[in-house]
Amino acid sequence: MVPTPSADAPLGTPIAAPVPALAAQDVLFDRSARTTWRLGFDRWAGWLLPLLFLVAILPILDLVWYISKTAIPTLTWEILTSFNYRTVDALGVPIVSTVEVLALSTAFAVLLGVFGGIATAEFLSDRSAGWVRVSANMLAGTPSVVLGYFGFFTFCIYAGWGYVMMAGVLTLAFFMTPYIFRIADLAYTSIPRPIREAAYGSGTRPHQYIVKVATPIAFPQVLNGIFLAMAIGLGETAPIVLTTTGSKILPPNLFAPVTYMTALIWADFSSPSGSGGYDVALQCAFLLVVAVVGLNILVRVISARYRKRLEGLYQ
Amino acid sequence: MSTQSPSGATSTDSLSAPERRRSGTMRTGIAIAIAVILLIVGIGAGYAIGYSLKGSSSSSGSSSNPIQLTETGSSLLYPLFNSYWFPNYTAIGQNVILSAASTGSGAGQSSAENALVNIGASDAYLANASATNLINFPVAISSQLIYYNLPAPLNGVHLNLNGTIMALIYEGDITTWNNPTLEAAQSPTVAAELSAMSSQTIYPVKRTDSSGDTFIFTSYCSAAWSGFPYPVSTSGLSGDNIPNMQTGTGNAGVVSTLGKQAGSIGYVGISYTSSASAAGLQYAALGDNLTVVNGQYASAAADYILPSAQNISYDANLGLQRLDFGTYGLAVSLILGGSYLGAITLTHGGGGTNPTATSPDPYPIVNLEYTLFKTAPVSGSNVVTATTLAATVAFMHWALSTGNYGTNGQSPSAWISAVGFVPLTPEVIGYDLQELATVSY
Amino acid sequence: MEQTPAPQDPEGREPLPPPSSSGPSAPAGAPRTRPPILRTVGRIVPFIPALVPAAIVAAIVYSLLHAAGFSIALHNWRTWQISLPTNFGWEFFGSNWNPPYSWGIAVFVVGSFLTAVPALLFSMLIGLGIAIASVAYLPRLVTRFLDPFVDLLAGIPSVIYGIWGYLVIAPYFGTVLNPYLYEHLRFVPGLGGTMPPSSGLGLPVGIFLLTLMALPITTLLIRDSLRSVPRDLWESGLALGATRWEAMRRISIPHAKGGIVSAGFLGFGRAFGETVAIAMVLNLVAVYPTNFYGGTATIAAEMFSILDSAYGNSQFLAALSEMALILVVISLAVNVVGRLFISRLSATEIAGL
Repeated sequence: MVPTPSADAPLGTPIAAPVPALAAQDVLFDRSARTTWRLGFDRWAGWLLPLLFLVAILPILDLVWYISKTAIPTLTWEILTSFNYRTVDALGVPIVSTVEVLALSTAFAVLLGVFGGIATAEFLSDRSAGWVRVSANMLAGTPSVVLGYFGFFTFCIYAGWGYVMMAGVLTLAFFMTPYIFRIADLAYTSIPRPIREAAYGSGTRPHQYIVKVATPIAFPQVLNGIFLAMAIGLGETAPIVLTTTGSKILPPNLFAPVTYMTALIWADFSSPSGSGGYDVALQCAFLLVVAVVGLNILVRVISARYRKRLEGLYQ
Repeated sequence: MSTQSPSGATSTDSLSAPERRRSGTMRTGIAIAIAVILLIVGIGAGYAIGYSLKGSSSSSGSSSNPIQLTETGSSLLYPLFNSYWFPNYTAIGQNVILSAASTGSGAGQSSAENALVNIGASDAYLANASATNLINFPVAISSQLIYYNLPAPLNGVHLNLNGTIMALIYEGDITTWNNPTLEAAQSPTVAAELSAMSSQTIYPVKRTDSSGDTFIFTSYCSAAWSGFPYPVSTSGLSGDNIPNMQTGTGNAGVVSTLGKQAGSIGYVGISYTSSASAAGLQYAALGDNLTVVNGQYASAAADYILPSAQNISYDANLGLQRLDFGTYGLAVSLILGGSYLGAITLTHGGGGTNPTATSPDPYPIVNLEYTLFKTAPVSGSNVVTATTLAATVAFMHWALSTGNYGTNGQSPSAWISAVGFVPLTPEVIGYDLQELATVSY
Repeated sequence: MEQTPAPQDPEGREPLPPPSSSGPSAPAGAPRTRPPILRTVGRIVPFIPALVPAAIVAAIVYSLLHAAGFSIALHNWRTWQISLPTNFGWEFFGSNWNPPYSWGIAVFVVGSFLTAVPALLFSMLIGLGIAIASVAYLPRLVTRFLDPFVDLLAGIPSVIYGIWGYLVIAPYFGTVLNPYLYEHLRFVPGLGGTMPPSSGLGLPVGIFLLTLMALPITTLLIRDSLRSVPRDLWESGLALGATRWEAMRRISIPHAKGGIVSAGFLGFGRAFGETVAIAMVLNLVAVYPTNFYGGTATIAAEMFSILDSAYGNSQFLAALSEMALILVVISLAVNVVGRLFISRLSATEIAGL
């Protein structure tokens, strides 16, 4: 029976006696020990697992910090722009040589990779394309030292060039090709089918389709791939060290020795600290880290924008 | 495939826009990226096209296109070439640029054999060089030191070592610094300090690359101890895998490993003394080999010699004056294998004679530094051409004269002394000039 | 043509452009023909660039075989003879590497596995943890910043890892970590034995660097495969009372098995073929390490260090080329198998790996 308040009781008077609080053992949750454990484990996991991020992030921060703190105080504008072959710490020649070699390698790799990717995406049947993609994955998976061996045997020895720039350029280009190939292939196959079918259905020839329809859509992704391949090529050591030898001057032609920054780091890394070689190695390391990290960030930015854009197209 | 987009407003918005419209920022971004790529590829292509249009004129030596000679090989010769000889040779207006690399004597030999570089530098004599049209051409006399990393006060004294002790260390019979054989060679105070050391493991350091220093060191050890199990070659110690063996790549790597590892000992070329001292290392005085007395090793007469220009010259003279160039050519490592009164080891030339020694004392590990180059241009190669071979010969003439003896021709050049080498003896220079005359281009 | 209205889509989008005529205008009704030779060429030419990667792989394998001394002599179309290189005997697979006397390369193969397998295990465990944290536990805002950081690890050149390892990590390990492990955990098999050298160069640094290099690959692949688990599966698990960890463990991870297996294979492939960083920080002696602190030699690092000087000796070169072939076969197999399980989306993400 529900007690009713008397009419003249002021507002706010409790209707009935307060209900006594239930004792803990009367509460009907069946939160067993196991559940408590499960929830606790989950909470601990929620703290511990994110800490694993530190395992990945701290080393890279330490690496960048150490190289920067050792290299930046010794870097001056004169060192960066000096082409003097007599002094050890003149970085003008290595920097420009590296840019040259990378540019040429990228040009070759783009030629081979983009055309190959387009051909695979457009002209091959699914079965053949599958095999070609497997071969591209195989090439991407060969270790760089094996490619260096190949370049050494083929270009330095068999073709008789010796330790020249062209051997390094071609070897590096072969190393970079599968990355551009794969990305070009992916870019052209992920053009939305309705667009492709509309183009072919209205009588577009394949070459017209590729040039006028597919390339504008796929272009950002291919560009992205080119930057990615450049970042990878910039950091490769084995193909260059095994096929070239260093030089104090800019290569006067393609069949001359050339200095690549990673090869310079490899040659000088065990120099005693305080000597010119040590400084050069760390300065080159710093410049490489800046360039590679910059390229990687650029790649990520472009791919984020591209993905947003691709989400708008009908799949 | 469905043309309905599954999601809501966003896709409908962009669906109504024509395909070719891009957002303004995207267009700018693409334009910048295109510009960057074109710039880089353009620079590279421009260089390539521009310079290769000039043809192979870089080997013609016109004033705007210097002749480029490449050298690779011995890390022992590298400081001399890279810091002193090459820049100064170019500086006197020869229109030749020489580039040095430190890859180990084995690499120098094989690169020269295969015409991959113009000059291959090696501390080890290459047998059968004529089979591949090469000549072994000595350019300087160097030596090798034994460096170790011990705590104070031992890093201030020169330990007394010899070939037998070094062979035993690298073979694994002597593993701790307080070994009685080792201590027996030292003065009493040093021996006491050795046994008082808290951590005592010896860490021998060897070269990973194919090294002329390894060749010299294995020559020294095998001349000192007949039981030395490793072959005398540039990769002689590659089978040497005793526990505690450490490695280094190049002389610089060995110095670096020595510096990082307390209790280590290793062989380092004399051109690296400054960096070794900077790393806190100390070198040993080398003396007589041990003799076996009653089944135990015992030292002979105690005369331990420190490396100095005088001592190195004396050892070199002892050997080279007795060399029959006609029969043996220049195949010589000037290792004093026995007591300093004993035989000089001629690695390929056969036995020597007992010199009678007076002061100064000969330092036992001395060797000729060889350069290897072809005697004729290699057809089909764009590295060893007539022009580059002529430039190489011209450089060698300079090396024999100014490089070794400086501009006044009397005393050792400052460059040679700076790396601790000594100049070639007149006999060797004479033989060198004979060899140079056989090069045709 | 002009009378019919332009075709419209049901959704009211812009009208499609009228069908364009291709090439020179042909008389109405007559099909455009090309000379037969051009037609055939036009069929074949586009296929040529697609064969470039296969051609390069074939050239690589051929050059290695040639350097290793294999040769195939074709006498006529029916009889052919393969001649094997001179040192291709059973002792080639032994463990006594002492050029120029013996050519046992087992040391290098074992060394490669010894460095790559622990690195793979560590990177898989850490990568799994990071991926789970990123997908299930951390808010999207946070992961949007942290994930690219981890992926950035993949971009650092290996020579930079090597020089950082040589100058920073190796001294730290040699002076702090290894002595600590040696003193306190000596009873663990492998952590005792001979005292660790204070230079710090050896397996610990090598495995550490390889873990860092394989980590971004494993993290990316596992994360992508976990993210591609359908949301309703995940949410129904949570609705039934599972904690996030349990939903992960019982729903997402079994669903993402393919991606995890791929991550293992590709991470192993990366660690197995790593050359420069290992050559810089590992104490390269061709010997089985006696304990955790020693150095050993791997195939790739040995190949890299010794080619210059080996070229003069054809037997040495043949041995190195055969080692290279073993490296190539294992790397290729691991890579091809690893990519079998990857979904299309992940393929886009990891096209650069």
